[in-house]
Amino acid sequence: MTERQDVVTLTIDGVEVSAPKGMTVLEAAKRAGVVIPHYCYHPGLPVAGVCRMCLVHVENTPKLQIACAIPVADGMVVNPYHDEAVEARRGVLEFLLINHPLDCPICDQAGECELQNYVFREGRARTRYSPTYAKRFNPVEDFGGDILYVPNRCILCTRCVQFMEHVADDPVLNVSDRGDRAFIGIHPGEQLEHAWSGNVVDLCPVGSLISKDFLHKARAWELDKAPGVCTGCSQGCNVVLETLHNTVVRLRPRTNLEVNRFFMCDHGRLDYRWLNRGDRIEAPLVRQDGDLAAVDWHHALERAADIVKGSGGPIVVLASARASNEALFLATRVAGERFVGAFRVERVDGEEPLPGVPNLALRSERAPNVRGATELGYTETFDAAVTALADAAAVIVVDEPLDTVSNAALAKVPSVIYMGTTLPEPARVAQVVLPITNVAEEDGTFVNRDGRVQRYLQAKTGPGMARPAWWVLGELLVELGRGEPLATAGEAFEMLAGAVRAFDGISYDGLGYLGAVLGTAAKAEATA
Amino acid sequence: MAITVKVMKRPEHEVSYLRATLKGLALTFSHLLRPSVTMQYPEQTATDDWTLSPRWRGTHRMLTDEQGRSKCVACGLCPQICPANCIKLVPGEDEQGNRYPLIYEIDEFRCVFCGYCQEVCPEEAIHVGVHYENAEYERGRFVYDLERLCAQTHPVSTLWDPSDPKGQ
Ligand code: SF4
Ligand code: SF4
Ligand code: SF4
Ligand code: SF4
Ligand code: FES
Repeated sequence: MTERQDVVTLTIDGVEVSAPKGMTVLEAAKRAGVVIPHYCYHPGLPVAGVCRMCLVHVENTPKLQIACAIPVADGMVVNPYHDEAVEARRGVLEFLLINHPLDCPICDQAGECELQNYVFREGRARTRYSPTYAKRFNPVEDFGGDILYVPNRCILCTRCVQFMEHVADDPVLNVSDRGDRAFIGIHPGEQLEHAWSGNVVDLCPVGSLISKDFLHKARAWELDKAPGVCTGCSQGCNVVLETLHNTVVRLRPRTNLEVNRFFMCDHGRLDYRWLNRGDRIEAPLVRQDGDLAAVDWHHALERAADIVKGSGGPIVVLASARASNEALFLATRVAGERFVGAFRVERVDGEEPLPGVPNLALRSERAPNVRGATELGYTETFDAAVTALADAAAVIVVDEPLDTVSNAALAKVPSVIYMGTTLPEPARVAQVVLPITNVAEEDGTFVNRDGRVQRYLQAKTGPGMARPAWWVLGELLVELGRGEPLATAGEAFEMLAGAVRAFDGISYDGLGYLGAVLGTAAKAEATA
Repeated sequence: MAITVKVMKRPEHEVSYLRATLKGLALTFSHLLRPSVTMQYPEQTATDDWTLSPRWRGTHRMLTDEQGRSKCVACGLCPQICPANCIKLVPGEDEQGNRYPLIYEIDEFRCVFCGYCQEVCPEEAIHVGVHYENAEYERGRFVYDLERLCAQTHPVSTLWDPSDPKGQ
């Protein structure tokens, strides 16, 4: 690559780094792997420059500078750890702590709090204030939605105000009063009701804005985390599933600049309880003397294979748009020539966009894999398919909750193979019931509405003998004599990518954590 | 072949055990005249006749506030630091929305009495105690619940000597 005119070279903490003109020193430092402490700066928000936490020493300038606001310049020598800068930041932290309640033991942010972190790193070990100094006190306020405001903990970085004003375009928050009495106010009569307002909890660097849903549920350090994809709608926001003792307790956005940047909507954020359902099927069941009886996997798969082999006529796959691509694909393989696939998706009126981020909205189709199901040959003709079930030789249900299906509908079909997490009433007529894991309990991929194939990873263990749907269908293929056993979701995906044109050129490993868009890999090859 | 035994003739004072026996007895009886150092436990106990170190680390005690409620706010630090993993804590929320321990149990059998829980507690709630009489009729009784921990009255450990905190 040739050196371009608009690239400058500077030194930050002894590290030489090139950065495009116009970039701020703080961002350039990130590139160089140097962390400059900061509060009001956030990559998803406009620069506010109010917290003074990012003070750094720049050679040949008379005063310390705020790294989040000054642009890089050629030959600049920045020293974030110059004695003067460290001393200034220590002063900033001391001011922040004057009225801070130090209630870390009961604060939900403890363990992931930037005030704790920076004070631990560069703050004073002891206060210089008298132990009898009465700290400013304001009661906790309900900001509406899922959000509580604890003013005593606020460090007035204004990230929340910036977000509501510039990103959500719903400026209901403000800085009220002034000086050391300042606090974050909400406009009279207003609430944090925007569909994306929950993000202020993540943005708040301290425990000042907290989630009512997560309140007192867990300590930050007890949580296990796994990267996932939100199942709330077809946008496919990248998330982190946080679990405590094998229970999902919180979803948070995971940065993906191409999809959701740093955000996720409240609908998706709070839609996790179904992942922890207790009424799960824990063992394969087959019909024996009229009743469903628990058997081992081998017997259940044998029975399922007999059904598939024995039936002449269409095999209808009723799939959920929450099922992984791997499961949907393998189901088409199991049905073979006689495959007829249909899915259903809940659609609501209107979208809830986040104005500050292009192409990001809570979408009207409320399932994560509508595009994947479509690419794999399923059609959104669920109701028609159910009405036409009388002609089917067999039905395979893949993770579809059957809420809209009457008890009698499936009874008409000679054979039903039901793969699901729970056993709803209409499914009780099945000949074989195969317990599968939910999206938090398996690896797999979804395709979002823009054709981005995205991986999600297992966050908790499934109940009993439940197995990922791709494993179950893979074993069924083996039982039918039409495939090799699949050990991982990756192997299932490779099989899919090799067989379905739309997935050409996409590899499981190549997806990484950010995904790849259908069709682009092939195009890139063609132009290369 | 017959075995031949060589018989040695030793002087009389070397083979007689009488001398050694008398010497031993003299030592034994001399103890009768010395002051006794044995403590007559359980007639004598640490409460009246002798003292335990104030830094002794024994079974736990949870301190309470003026209203008699435990001072614990269920911050989760002690189960985190405990090397024996013997503290069970489930946080809850009371009527005023305050965080408090819904379940707080210490398995004293698994505890190694390191005192880390006391050291880490930001509320000065859980303490190891200056206490040593722990016998029970059942194993299960060694899991102390919150009520029992709060009901303990023995003195709590100072962990370190305030006049010499670094132990020099
Ligand atoms: S509530 Fe949080 S995000 Fe908002 S100004 Fe205070 S510290 Fe910053
Ligand atoms: S916009 Fe859709 S994918 Fe994103 S968080 Fe909301 S529900 Fe989930
Ligand atoms: S004394 Fe040590 S081992 Fe015992 S409960 Fe406390 S931290 Fe755990
Ligand atoms: S460290 Fe103290 S306040 Fe925290 S949970 Fe343990 S006893 Fe309770
Ligand atoms: S991060 Fe630079 S002033 Fe706040």
